[in-house]
Amino acid sequence: MTDEIMIVDDSLTIRMDLQDAFTAAGLATRLCGNLAQAREAMAHGAPALVILDVLLPDGDGVDFLGELRNDERTARTPVLMLSAEAEIKDRIRGIKRGADEYVGKPYDSGYVVARAMALLRKSETGKPRAPSILVIDDSLTYREELAKLLGDAGFRVTQAGSGEEGLRRAADGRPDAIIVDGIMPGITGATFVRRLRLDPGLSPTPCLMLTASEGAASEVAALDAGADAYVRKDESNMIVMARLRAMLRQAEESRERSRAAGLFDPKRILAVDDSLTYLEALAEHLRLDGYEVVKAKSGEEALELLSVERVDCVLLDLQMPGLSGTETCKRIKGSSALRNVPLIMLTALEGPEAMVAGINAGADDYVAKSADFEVLRARLRAQLRRKQYEDENRNVREEIMRKDAETRAVRRNADARAELLVQVEKKNAELQMLNKEMQSFAYSVSHDLRQPLRSMDGFSKVLLDKYGGAIDDEARHYLQRIRAGAQRMGALIDGLLLLSRVTRADLTARPIDVGQISRRVYDRLRDAEPGRNAELALTGDLKGTGDDRLIETVLENLLGNAWKFTGRNTAPTRIEVGSVEQDNERVFFVRDNGVGFKMDYADKLFGPFQRLHSEEEFAGTGIGLATVQRIIHRHGGRIWAQAEVGRGATFYFSLGAPAAQKAAV
Amino acid sequence: MNTNILLVEDSRDDEELVLLALRQAGISADVAVARDGEQAVARLGNAAEMAAMRMVLLDLKVPKLNGFEVLKRIRANDATRRLPVVVFTSSDVRSDIERAYELGANCYVCKPVDFVEYSDVVQQIGRFWLALNRKV
Repeated sequence: MTDEIMIVDDSLTIRMDLQDAFTAAGLATRLCGNLAQAREAMAHGAPALVILDVLLPDGDGVDFLGELRNDERTARTPVLMLSAEAEIKDRIRGIKRGADEYVGKPYDSGYVVARAMALLRKSETGKPRAPSILVIDDSLTYREELAKLLGDAGFRVTQAGSGEEGLRRAADGRPDAIIVDGIMPGITGATFVRRLRLDPGLSPTPCLMLTASEGAASEVAALDAGADAYVRKDESNMIVMARLRAMLRQAEESRERSRAAGLFDPKRILAVDDSLTYLEALAEHLRLDGYEVVKAKSGEEALELLSVERVDCVLLDLQMPGLSGTETCKRIKGSSALRNVPLIMLTALEGPEAMVAGINAGADDYVAKSADFEVLRARLRAQLRRKQYEDENRNVREEIMRKDAETRAVRRNADARAELLVQVEKKNAELQMLNKEMQSFAYSVSHDLRQPLRSMDGFSKVLLDKYGGAIDDEARHYLQRIRAGAQRMGALIDGLLLLSRVTRADLTARPIDVGQISRRVYDRLRDAEPGRNAELALTGDLKGTGDDRLIETVLENLLGNAWKFTGRNTAPTRIEVGSVEQDNERVFFVRDNGVGFKMDYADKLFGPFQRLHSEEEFAGTGIGLATVQRIIHRHGGRIWAQAEVGRGATFYFSLGAPAAQKAAV
Repeated sequence: MNTNILLVEDSRDDEELVLLALRQAGISADVAVARDGEQAVARLGNAAEMAAMRMVLLDLKVPKLNGFEVLKRIRANDATRRLPVVVFTSSDVRSDIERAYELGANCYVCKPVDFVEYSDVVQQIGRFWLALNRKV
């Protein structure tokens, strides 16, 4: 986009005059005498603003406006129509086609430049952003469905499950529009809208209510409460979307309108009179004061224009054919959008009754028509000043309330965030301290706790070796008990250290062969007890993904248990390591034909220090399976067991998806 | 007689157990004991004593200078650079093992609780490293 103002007008005088005015204001211009030149200039880049005449030698300016609006590059470029056309219909046509401004000829170049500057400011601040929608419904399903639909359409969505929560979220988030269910437990949709309208910071927020029933009563209730639109819940969601879009568009337009009429912008006056001569004379005089005058020849024309363009004051002839001044005034003052526009009734020779009727219809002032416009100009200034004063006051009030609400919301957010941050930091510090403590604890356990055990075991052994002959069996038995105790304690410490290390150790997952590791572990067990009649069977596909060192620990425990609990078998020991596919997952298992266990105790198997057998029956620390479970969980897998007393046990485990292993900590 | 093993060990029990194990294994070595890292470093400075020294049995967790510090100084000293050092300690923490080898330990042995294993290990250490570093 260029910074240039494109001026399309067939009159060289006008082009030069406007160029001088814009140059003086520091703006560059590009001059086009007809549409062909304008179209060619467009090929060199979109201008910042276009000033466009309607009647051009090679076509209609309004048609060119349509072309601009259909072009992606200029869809939002401000366009100021500049036309000598007396017909108000052309003015309405241009504005409806998307003109941002319409100035009649003869024009005041200072006014045109001022309007152009205002439009440029507006287009800079009016950058579009995704509107935020608050959805309030007690049904999570409906809420999620709607939120998804809205999200897909590019809206930002917040949700609330009740009217109370909705009010809080509305105050915090200040959404661009709200969709609220009419029927909810707690406060109803209608109550919600009423409360919303009471909050000055939130009252302009467009609100769409969802009604459940067919009946007109609930729709009336919705509108009565102040909702801007309603949709029945059984209607398609597309209707909700369409209504929402329309609501947002209206809100945007009304914002634009109020923004367009800035306090210090040049004023636009609508003069309504059936006498064209009087209108011309009036316009001539008002232009001297820097006003832009829009001329309407009837009440109907005036109303039509007011529906598309905002003015700062209306001068209305009391006596007109067609719609009378009184009736026109009533209509204007009866419209909520126009009520605040000052209206001055122009009277000729009518009796006081007509004047009173005009005032009763809502006119702000009346002025007797005369060739001397001084009184009218003074009255007009007074009305504009009053209007400006009111607008200023209202704007200041609104600004204060808006700022206040924003500050409140920002502060609440910041407080909550700060508190959360403090909590998270505290927790992190605590965790770090605990972790450090745990590490130094494990370190000192491994260093210091084993030494006394070595003394007990070592000196008992020396005593047995050296003085075994000098003491009786009982004394020797006690010394053996001391040694057994020390060694058991040593095994417990080793087990605990392994368990704590497994929790903290880095996990590196790579392809492994569970069968190969099992064979290695089994061979070690066999070497320790070569006399036993035993065999290891490897069945199925035993390839997997995991940390080889940790999986070896798992298999040492599972095969070690299988070996241990088959130790009293009369039949030959058979240990099987195999795999099955289950729910798209490879499940490995270690099966033995040992003593098994009661399934009642299956849930106790994996807790640390849980033992299903006495030390007398089978030695053990009760930490092995806890370690195994922790390793499997860190891989993102599961472990469980199946057994029957006297018929062996089977331990199943999976190793999780490779992706889950990285995330699992 | 010249001492030929330097035992760096703060626990009197472990010291006695090592001596018992060596005696049981029939290794008639003279053992000098340092109770902390400073004592050990002081002995390293005695060139005459170091000339006869055949190995160091080094615990890692000793007061003042720890075992790693002592190991660094042994490797930094010309008189002891080639002296075999066996780390003989309670720790089986991976990082300790890696660090010891990095700093130039010849062997890392974890002290077993069971005295039968303990004396086996000491016997093997004594035989192997003493034999390897026999002074002619």
